[in-house]
Amino acid sequence: MLREVKERLFLCGIAVAAVLTVMPLFHIIYTVAVEGIPVLMKAGLNFLTDTLAPPGEGLGGIGPAIFGTLVITTLASLLGLPVAVITGVYAAEYPESIIGRLTRTLLTIMMEFPTILVGLFVMQILVIPMGSYSAIAGALALALVMMPYVAVYTEEAFRNIPFTYREAAFSLGLSRFKVVFRVLAGMARKGMVTGMLIGMAKVAGETAPLLFTAGGSNRIYFAGLDKPVGAVPLLIYNLIQQPYENYHEIAWGASLVLLLIFLAVFLPLRLSLKEVRL
Amino acid sequence: MAIETVNLTIYYCQKCVIRNVNLKIPENVVFAIMGPSGCGKSTLLRSFNRLLELNPNARVEGDVRLYGRSVYDMNPIEVRRKIGMVFQLPNPFPHMSIFDNVALGLKLNGLVKSKKELREIVEWALKKAVLWDEVKDRLHDPASALSGGQQQRLCIARALAMKPQVLLMDEPTANLDPIATEKIENLIYELKKEYTIVIVTHSPAQAARVSDYVAFLYLGELVEVGKTEKIFEKPENELTERYLTGRIG
Amino acid sequence: MRDPFKISLLPFCALVFGIFTLMVAVYFTASLPVFQKEGIHIYITNVWIAVEDNPEGEFYGVLAAIYGSVYTSILAVLIALPLSIGFAVFVIDYAPQKIKEPLIVITDIMAGLPTIIYGIWGVFVLVPILRDYVMRPLYENFSFIPLFSFEPAGGYSYLTAGVLLGIMVTPFASSIIREGYRMVPFTYREAVFSLGATRYEVTKILLGYIKPVIVASILLAFGRAVGETVAVSLVVGNTFNIHPSLFAPGYTISSLIANQFGDAFIYGYMVSALFAAGLFLFVIGLIVNIGGLIILKRYVYAKGG
Repeated sequence: MLREVKERLFLCGIAVAAVLTVMPLFHIIYTVAVEGIPVLMKAGLNFLTDTLAPPGEGLGGIGPAIFGTLVITTLASLLGLPVAVITGVYAAEYPESIIGRLTRTLLTIMMEFPTILVGLFVMQILVIPMGSYSAIAGALALALVMMPYVAVYTEEAFRNIPFTYREAAFSLGLSRFKVVFRVLAGMARKGMVTGMLIGMAKVAGETAPLLFTAGGSNRIYFAGLDKPVGAVPLLIYNLIQQPYENYHEIAWGASLVLLLIFLAVFLPLRLSLKEVRL
Repeated sequence: MAIETVNLTIYYCQKCVIRNVNLKIPENVVFAIMGPSGCGKSTLLRSFNRLLELNPNARVEGDVRLYGRSVYDMNPIEVRRKIGMVFQLPNPFPHMSIFDNVALGLKLNGLVKSKKELREIVEWALKKAVLWDEVKDRLHDPASALSGGQQQRLCIARALAMKPQVLLMDEPTANLDPIATEKIENLIYELKKEYTIVIVTHSPAQAARVSDYVAFLYLGELVEVGKTEKIFEKPENELTERYLTGRIG
Repeated sequence: MRDPFKISLLPFCALVFGIFTLMVAVYFTASLPVFQKEGIHIYITNVWIAVEDNPEGEFYGVLAAIYGSVYTSILAVLIALPLSIGFAVFVIDYAPQKIKEPLIVITDIMAGLPTIIYGIWGVFVLVPILRDYVMRPLYENFSFIPLFSFEPAGGYSYLTAGVLLGIMVTPFASSIIREGYRMVPFTYREAVFSLGATRYEVTKILLGYIKPVIVASILLAFGRAVGETVAVSLVVGNTFNIHPSLFAPGYTISSLIANQFGDAFIYGYMVSALFAAGLFLFVIGLIVNIGGLIILKRYVYAKGG
């Protein structure tokens, strides 16, 4: 009898746990939509292109923030992707070597690094010497956050290529460079590209690394690589902490935009992969 | 002698898998290496084109000579350009087209000077592999669209395009149906006029059908070697006889 | 034989190692001033005396932040553990085929969702709900229990932060447990069922089999929670407090850094103090993450993975 009861409780508990785990997402999406859609309706498409309204009145737009996000994400990719790919390839090609194993371990550790510490680090080595917040500092911080993810995805993409293709490529008398970069890379391409896009999507939504590096910019679209630049997550973070009601509205609108972009990029990527490492 | 091994001994993870093998493989013949599964035949084959070096656990002692020259005196890349290989599981590069698969070795090694020359050699190789008629209208389809037998002939074309001196085949028909197998065995018979072919097989029947010379390898040691007719009709070694009559497999 | 391929790739690996080493070095050197001034007190006192123009008069102690980080992360793990285990078991054993994949995709989305969105939801939704439906009632009726003893004012508290963090790290923890649970050999499952055990008992036994995985997921989830910044800093209250009550506001190391950094430059030692706090976070994060990864690796190795 007691066993029966335990069994029932267990099954209930499991179901409840599952519901509780996923329910927040639905509530979050619901809330962002309910709060954000009216804002976007009120501001219209200009929300995406205008600059921020003054405190207390009107909405304006988040144009500079969106542009800033685009700029630093692209910049971060330029900085981080090459190193990530090469390190991932090394770890895949020399899995037995000490350096190969250490590299893989280090990359796995860096994936779990508190991102605020990355921002702080970049601040110390770039922002302070330069004397101001800058796009390049923000990009560097994001590149450091992105790099381990892309490297691990790349390493797995290469590791999953069946050994026979490696043999076939070598048997044609190709040097290792050519085998890896001209033949195997083609086969690993899907995994690598997916990893890159996921890395980019992830850092586009990051706030902490940008707190002390990018600086934020509400009026100016782009002042230069060495000048402060806006970013959507950063803007939302700053707006929430302001006392003005209209700024809170803008924050919801921006959150909706961010959410939509994230889902639009992430969902297709996730559905094209069997498993995702986050 | 196209290929000659001198006291060839191979260790894999400290275990001795090939012991003191001395082979003399003449030119323009089909030379079969037969024996039960797992006795080192594939390892032996990979020592000829130094593909064994891809495996850090393998160690080679003794020598392998290509037309009198030790392959260890040559750059492994050079060795592999002179010796082509076809594998047990057909492995055309799946993300590339039929044409690109055959052209790959030529393109990346810089062996052709013009697109026209490339197309000519690809066509020639596909014809030699008796695949041209079946694919000439769909050269740019992905290689994965072909059947198993066709894929294997594509791999043969890929190897032939490099104009190798010797062609190594590691149980090339092990994963093919009897019809595809027959086509490839006929192909081998044709190719031997211009190439030296070393074929590893775990089927004595195939060795009997296809080869001019055969070597019987058992547990890493060369038990008997000689002309195919002789070995099959009158094997000298008792072990060989037991293998041929199916008492060891 | 020199391998040109290896040699030309090596500099990139060296770069990664170099960056990591540089990071460690920067944190140490930036923390040095406050270590020299205060020694261990930076970590064991709860005080924040920031005086302009008088560097000697400054004194910082980040104990409150350390306390808050540990408190909220433990809360997060306490919430995440049962949820992630339950979710993992549900998805693998009980969910109908059609909803298995969607459920997993949902948790993957949650794991990758920009944390600022959790933050804005936390501020405008979670805080009021917890304050009005959980904290006020509990305080009014049970304030004699230390856990419930602080009067909830705005609702920004350890509890809110802990719950929000719990929601955020559950998908992550459950993906680790899910993977481990899925990989239990089928024969093992069959064996346990064939002994006539109820489903509850079978699950208990199988979970025992993957205990190291569960432990590892606790550690890694703790590591994630302790490193989270924006979502926490918006709901934890950002107050220098060391209080046992769930309803009290507080600081975490990451939210302290995020909050105080804006003005830190005016003062002589504040920047250094914040770096010292960051260093502490760095070390905790490293220990917990490496520990979790080692446990996972040993488990996979032992099971012949």
